[in-house]
Amino acid sequence: MKQDRRGSWYLLTGLVIGIGLGLVYSWVLSPVKYVDAPPYALRVDYKDDYRVLVAAAYLYSGDLVRAKDRLTQLKDNDITQSLALQAQRAMTEGRPEGEIKALGILTMALVQGKTTIDSSILPGQSSAEGSPTMVTSPTPPDLQPAGASTLVPQTSLNSESVMNTPGPTIPNPTFSEVTSVPTLGSLFVLEDTTLVCNPDQPQPMIQVQVQDAEGHPISGVGIVVTWEGGEDHFFTGLKPELGVGYADFLMIPGVVYSLTMANGGQAANDLTAAECLSADQSQYWGSWMLTFILP
Amino acid sequence: MSRWTKFLLAVIIGAAAGLFYGWIVNPVAYVDIAPSSLRADYKTDFVLMVAEAYQVDHDLGLSVRRLALLGSSAPTEIVADALSYAHQHEFRSQDLSLLQDLGEALRTWNPNQEIPTP
Repeated sequence: MKQDRRGSWYLLTGLVIGIGLGLVYSWVLSPVKYVDAPPYALRVDYKDDYRVLVAAAYLYSGDLVRAKDRLTQLKDNDITQSLALQAQRAMTEGRPEGEIKALGILTMALVQGKTTIDSSILPGQSSAEGSPTMVTSPTPPDLQPAGASTLVPQTSLNSESVMNTPGPTIPNPTFSEVTSVPTLGSLFVLEDTTLVCNPDQPQPMIQVQVQDAEGHPISGVGIVVTWEGGEDHFFTGLKPELGVGYADFLMIPGVVYSLTMANGGQAANDLTAAECLSADQSQYWGSWMLTFILP
Repeated sequence: MSRWTKFLLAVIIGAAAGLFYGWIVNPVAYVDIAPSSLRADYKTDFVLMVAEAYQVDHDLGLSVRRLALLGSSAPTEIVADALSYAHQHEFRSQDLSLLQDLGEALRTWNPNQEIPTP
């Protein structure tokens, strides 16, 4: 009679004890130790460190196949895009210039599929004497200061310079058109300045297209933008989806900017955010599209 | 079958259920790990990348900070382990040289001379 009253609860008790023992063993006595893990299991910030390291190593070896293999270990959906996004983040977060350059150079190499590094875009403080795969040269000096140009872009709103475009106006070049970074001593010429009115992009921007004489986009060109009390650097090619010769910079309304190529050339001065009119007469910010060519 | 036997059977079934859940239904997933948990070959490649980067930036402090991601061992020890692995697995001679260069440079490294980074 006594046994019948207890029923089958002891079975459930046994189950609970069994599960408890299993958990004690797996969580306390022999907890999981992460060993022999692959790179794709790294935490996000460590993945960023890993990409920077791959890019920095690529600067030495110029071995794109190896760099690709290493990046593939992270199992990103698109290694080029991940790298480009990280390069952009690094710029906005004010990471060291060497890191930004390394990420940018590897991004461009992946986009272009090139296997050699143009020494003129390597970090200036670098010295790779003895390296069998890289020719060193000093960082290109600023050959012409910003503001030295006599050609000042038209920054006022007029009927000739305003384009009402319903969508993005940026060409999307094929990779075969891509040219390498210009050689030391090249001087860029500001060929065109146009106010682009695109209601889908209401934030004022300076958009830059850098091309060679044949109209092929040039990636990896450093651009310097200055304003009263500030300066920033950015590079073409970090948004490959918009073209490898493309770069942009977000403007603050009311601030006057000057822009020039880091390697020298004509400057675009007195750039301020300009407004556009939509079909319903409402105003929105337009963007300045500057086209620089390498004659 | 006695109650004790049934009880022990229930314990075993419970433990088996726990193992089935832990190994099959919801196995351990490697996520958010640190570089110190990387497999030996990946660790060695990590050190090799540090050595390659060092050839460009010549910044021992930066190299040490990068190596520190691989654990709390001394940087020279980390490089020595990588070099040992590289020798065992017949890495290219250039890669071995790079690791040796970094290891030798680290022997002369004095952390007190490091300027702290903000």
